[in-house]
Amino acid sequence: MGSLEGIITGFQTALSVEAIFFVLIGVFVGTIIGMLPGLGPISAIAVMIPMTFGMEPSIALIMIAGVYYGAIFGGSTSSILLNAPGVSGTVATAFDGYPMAQQGKAGKALAIAAIASFVGGTVSVILLMLLAPALSSVAISFGPPAYFALMVLGLTAIASLSEGSTTKALISAVAGFMVVTIGIDAQTGTQRFTFGSINLLDGIDFLVIALGLFAIAEVCTLVLNRKDTSLKKFHNIGSLRLSKKDFKEMSGPMSRQSLLGFLIGVLPGAGATIASFIAYISEKRIAKKPEEFGKGSVKGLTAPETANNAATSGAFVPLLSLGIPGSGTTAVMLGAFLVMGVQPGPMLMTERPEIFWGVIASMYIGNIFLLILNLPLIPYFAKVLKIPRPMLISLVIVFSMIGVYAVSFNTFDLYMLLLFGAIGFIMRLFSFPAPPFILAFILGGMMEQSFRQSLTISNGDLMIFITNPISCALLIISLLSFVFPLIGVVRKKKGN
Amino acid sequence: MRKYLILLFILVAMLISACGENEEGNGEDDATETSAEETSASGSEGAKWKPEESIEIIAPAGAGGGWDTTARMAAQVFSEEGIIDGNIGVVNMEGGGGAVAWAHVAGFEENPYKLFVSSPPIIFIPLNGQSEYGHEEFTPIANIIADYAAFAVREDAEWDSINELFEDMKEDPESITVVGTSSPGSMDHMQFVQIAKAAGVDITKIRYVSAQDGGGLTQLLNGSVDVYSTGVAETVEQVRAGNIKVLGVTSEERLEGDVLEDFPTVKEQGIDETFVNWRGFFGPPNMSPDALAYYEAKFKELSDSDAFAEIRSQFGWDELYMNSEEYSQFLDEQKESLGALMDELGLGN
Amino acid sequence: MLKTLNQKVSLVLFAIALLYLIYAYQIPSFPYTVVDADVIPKVLGYLLLILSVFLFFIKDEESEEQKARRNIPKKEVGMLLGVGGLIILYIIFLEILGFVFVTALFIFLCSRFLGYKNYLANVLVSIILPVSLYLMFTQLLRISLPSGILPF
Repeated sequence: MGSLEGIITGFQTALSVEAIFFVLIGVFVGTIIGMLPGLGPISAIAVMIPMTFGMEPSIALIMIAGVYYGAIFGGSTSSILLNAPGVSGTVATAFDGYPMAQQGKAGKALAIAAIASFVGGTVSVILLMLLAPALSSVAISFGPPAYFALMVLGLTAIASLSEGSTTKALISAVAGFMVVTIGIDAQTGTQRFTFGSINLLDGIDFLVIALGLFAIAEVCTLVLNRKDTSLKKFHNIGSLRLSKKDFKEMSGPMSRQSLLGFLIGVLPGAGATIASFIAYISEKRIAKKPEEFGKGSVKGLTAPETANNAATSGAFVPLLSLGIPGSGTTAVMLGAFLVMGVQPGPMLMTERPEIFWGVIASMYIGNIFLLILNLPLIPYFAKVLKIPRPMLISLVIVFSMIGVYAVSFNTFDLYMLLLFGAIGFIMRLFSFPAPPFILAFILGGMMEQSFRQSLTISNGDLMIFITNPISCALLIISLLSFVFPLIGVVRKKKGN
Repeated sequence: MRKYLILLFILVAMLISACGENEEGNGEDDATETSAEETSASGSEGAKWKPEESIEIIAPAGAGGGWDTTARMAAQVFSEEGIIDGNIGVVNMEGGGGAVAWAHVAGFEENPYKLFVSSPPIIFIPLNGQSEYGHEEFTPIANIIADYAAFAVREDAEWDSINELFEDMKEDPESITVVGTSSPGSMDHMQFVQIAKAAGVDITKIRYVSAQDGGGLTQLLNGSVDVYSTGVAETVEQVRAGNIKVLGVTSEERLEGDVLEDFPTVKEQGIDETFVNWRGFFGPPNMSPDALAYYEAKFKELSDSDAFAEIRSQFGWDELYMNSEEYSQFLDEQKESLGALMDELGLGN
Repeated sequence: MLKTLNQKVSLVLFAIALLYLIYAYQIPSFPYTVVDADVIPKVLGYLLLILSVFLFFIKDEESEEQKARRNIPKKEVGMLLGVGGLIILYIIFLEILGFVFVTALFIFLCSRFLGYKNYLANVLVSIILPVSLYLMFTQLLRISLPSGILPF
């Protein structure tokens, strides 16, 4: 069966009344769960699996997929309104989304996020449909040296995430990297910095760091400013309307990051979080006014929101066409397929085209539903900000705690949340930026592992990073991206 | 003024909670008393123990993995087939490859409502010194299923049998890299080591890389590594697509099933060794004999049911039932042989 | 000697780096790997040492707004510690008293503590929110939260 026929079969499945109904349910449940801080796609999918028993496999999987991208779509809401990322892929969304909300433009920020998510989601589904069979070779083209080089490229952005002092940004990054070394080392099985505590064996969960450094640290600031009337604006939601200028600003990041986010999503292990960070950084790099980033920039919000949704579709490439789950979330998705008696892998496309193409085709419809569902609801979501300050503070604390607890069911992690909240607040007081910390935390672990995997494979020969073409190219780009700004600085100084 | 307010609030909160704690404490005492009475009563009347609260099965890992699936499927069949009336809930408790959940269950001595599912890591992890609780601390109830390891290489690889691979490894062990998902000293590593040792390879020279998040298969397919040590089920689709070939599986006899029956065992290739990835259920330390007998019978019923047979075939698991006594003995033997292997590698603690 | 704030901060960081390095040197070695588990931590430790020395000598580049952040009145420090204390109490009693009870108490006390005077609204939110969250998690999402002293 050719691809075209397959696509047609897929649309036939996806456009049946039953499929449309269950996509709607899936994306609705997904958005709601994604909005709750701490509950991400993993819990959302795990919750829905038992409900699919007895359903037609293609319909059930269409619904589960809807839950997945719906959760990523919904995750931006609490990032923007409360600085409390609900899903790891939406941490970068808070960088500009939350400042925007503070300026009284919460409605606009949520609208931008919804539209960027929609575009990222839809463009990437088109790419997925056209390229899924071909891209499966891209998905496996990255060996350990290439992953290492990709992480290096990501880390070169630390300096651009600083608020003034580069030294402080670097210190933040080193600290973030240090935190990720806690736990059992995968390459040797030795315990590092666990101090004999079983709670530290798996290291510290990303969510604990993200909610601590962002939500809880923000709570401290809110406590101090609770009587500050200059923040009255925060209560305004503002108009949802986006001006022509906004759209113009959004168009660049949306078109670039749909593609880049999708490609990063295709790589197993990279995923929405890394895609959103790389999107944010790359847009800041090429922006005419990079100083606006972090202060409520339209581009700074559009980029990560486009990329994390695009990466979510991208992650379906290795999952569907190779049976390789590239992340914890897609591993749960794979589990959902297996429960349905469907084995994703190279044979899925030819043997079960109605599932392979049906899931992909349904994602167009799901994305449209997400936009229709979310846009009218924005004014209601944004009402959260009208809650009196003391009550809002209590609620943000409670939601952050539930989020962390619902992942690990362990109060130890709640103490860690408090600890990282305190660290985040102290970092703010002394002007150490939090984004480099979290970036190093995300990239550091994978960078160390792939570095050591590479050297084990090459018997300690560092040339492996040069002889591998992908790794070599990425390292050259990293070097250039490091050198070019320097040249710029030197020129500016000469000019002055 | 405010300071006093703070103090007052904290004091009130503590008082209220302290009261609550007392109540809770009393409640627990009552519960143990009643259950003690019941046990003695049932003992005298000869009636068997029966659950009166909802039963909790802990999957010591996140959603979606093998432990989680086994626990959920068992709970589902228990309720749907009416083998156990009453509530059965599955709780995920992730951390330390299981160590967090084990420490949790160890705190519920004699409590017959806390079960958990486990597999070889409950041997490996204590041996690695990553958990102070091993299978000896708990009450093994029954083993239910078995899964086997498979060693795969790329389709165009130069080796066509496990012996050809091992011959090359004997000559130049450093030229071959093995990849698996778990860290060294845990399952994917040790299953390979065990078979390689039986074949006469110098196991201290095996190069092993650990790759998470589906990285193992990726690295095999893109040529970064040579051998992928994994579970049988993970290889099937890639074999059907003609991307990889399986050099050996670690079961006693050939497996049944469409593609599975074509996989040669390492045993038929002359290496006298097997490796079973068994999966079964445990209870807290010192579970009462009556409760144990109850669960043993129920798990036997589960294992024999058609509904569970269907699930086994769906996930490609083998049937391997062991009652509590057989299971305990089996676990002790496993620990001894794997412990010796790890000592030889210098990994044991 | 310690004139600038950066110098004080750098000393703290230097101490953290030293402590981290001491632990990094205690990581047991593993015989079968090219780059052992302690290599990256050692690199990070020394990197932080060097960076903290850098920080000692650089001039402040902070904006006025960033400096203003540190002007916290003593009273407000008490407020922060108070909220922190309430959070610790919340964590301690979460699994003992159960989610609904502790959350209700926390929302009420924390909001009141921060100066929320509308008692009626406070009581209503403190009761309705935890109960509805609890029902949603346990009944709809089937994620169990500590039930504690509640019978269900």
